[in-house]
Amino acid sequence: MNKEKFETQSMDYMSGAMSADEKRDFEKFLDGNPEYANQFDELASTWKMINALEAPEPSPEMDESFFGLLSNEVEKTNKKNGWEILIEGFFMIFKPQLVYSILLLGIGLGLGYYMNSSNDTNAINNIVSNEETENVRQKLVLTLLEQPSANQRLQGVSEANKFENVDEMVIKALLQTLNKDSNVNVRLAAIESLTNYVDKPLVRQGLVKSIPNQESPILQVTLANLMVALQEKASIEPFKQLLKEKQLDTTVQKKIENSIESII
Amino acid sequence: MQDLTDNALMLKVKNGDLDKLGLLYERHKKRLFGFFYNLGNNPSVSEDLVQNVFMRILKYRKSYIGEGSFTAWMFRMARNVNYDYHKKASKENISTGVSPEEVKADTEDHINDEIEKKGNNILLKQALAKLPEEKRELLILSKYRELKFSEIAKIIGCTENAAKVRVHRALKDLKTIFTQLEIA
Repeated sequence: MNKEKFETQSMDYMSGAMSADEKRDFEKFLDGNPEYANQFDELASTWKMINALEAPEPSPEMDESFFGLLSNEVEKTNKKNGWEILIEGFFMIFKPQLVYSILLLGIGLGLGYYMNSSNDTNAINNIVSNEETENVRQKLVLTLLEQPSANQRLQGVSEANKFENVDEMVIKALLQTLNKDSNVNVRLAAIESLTNYVDKPLVRQGLVKSIPNQESPILQVTLANLMVALQEKASIEPFKQLLKEKQLDTTVQKKIENSIESII
Repeated sequence: MQDLTDNALMLKVKNGDLDKLGLLYERHKKRLFGFFYNLGNNPSVSEDLVQNVFMRILKYRKSYIGEGSFTAWMFRMARNVNYDYHKKASKENISTGVSPEEVKADTEDHINDEIEKKGNNILLKQALAKLPEEKRELLILSKYRELKFSEIAKIIGCTENAAKVRVHRALKDLKTIFTQLEIA
């Protein structure tokens, strides 16, 4: 048995931490080793003395002052019990929730701002989609104007009224309808539709040029009225030509003559 | 009865039932007082230190996790309290304990009605006072039957075997000093 083992075992033996078998072994070892037995005896006697070491009783004053201190502490914590504990508890319980709700609020605000600012893009989208519908409408007008059915051609002309910014192609198509359509009603509708865009030189020129091509008295009168309203001086020549070349209805003739005068 | 173990009481104190500290105090005050007294503090200092330990327990009650025995935790605090006190006292140059000379004077006063055991006891105190602080502490701790060597090891921060060896060597040193005093 080495020294350290002896040291630990003797402590175990003295403190009663050994089993009966271990105890027997240790005692046997001591019997066989008088040197260690001597050491152990000395140790045991000192151990005994230490264990017999007594201390006086603490004084009753110690108890008094301790319980005084304790009740002070209890009072202090009880005072804290009111609002502070409530608020503390609130924060303890709701800490994560508070953070989450603030986070959610932040996300909400952020999204709100984002949506607000994306209104601009919405406007752009609207413009884009408006442009798209205009394009579709333009194609629709062009197709409808080429239909054999007068009804559908009329529908095409009325579609043309709906444009905000009319295209040159549509104007040309309308003018062609005005000049060449077989149906008087369609031609009339074309004039009406073109009236919307009289601020365009192309439209005015087209209207003026179409004057000699008109055979129907209604159309002649409508054009004459329109030219008076527009005070279009360029229309005088075509009207004079119309008076010379065609056998016009007397009422129409008078109307045109009046118009020429009022334009001049 | 489970509710009344040291551990359960201390957990109650931790959760705000401070009155339960009174029970723990009653249960351990004598042992703690003996610890400080046998370490060489005079009775009134020992009483103060016992209170300091319990105030410290109150202050650090939240750090109690209930692992290991309450006694070991308490003695760890007691050790710190004793250490802090002596550090402060040596700074302020206050005589704290009972010096060996004082003990000797005490012996002479009562020389007439001494019985042998008591004489031994006084010699032992003198011998203890001459031991280094660390060893003295270790011997006093090992005196308490409730503290197993594994717990003492935890209190002083070493392995169980090392604790046994240290106590053994402290005992040996004490015996040497004691014998010298006996001869003198």
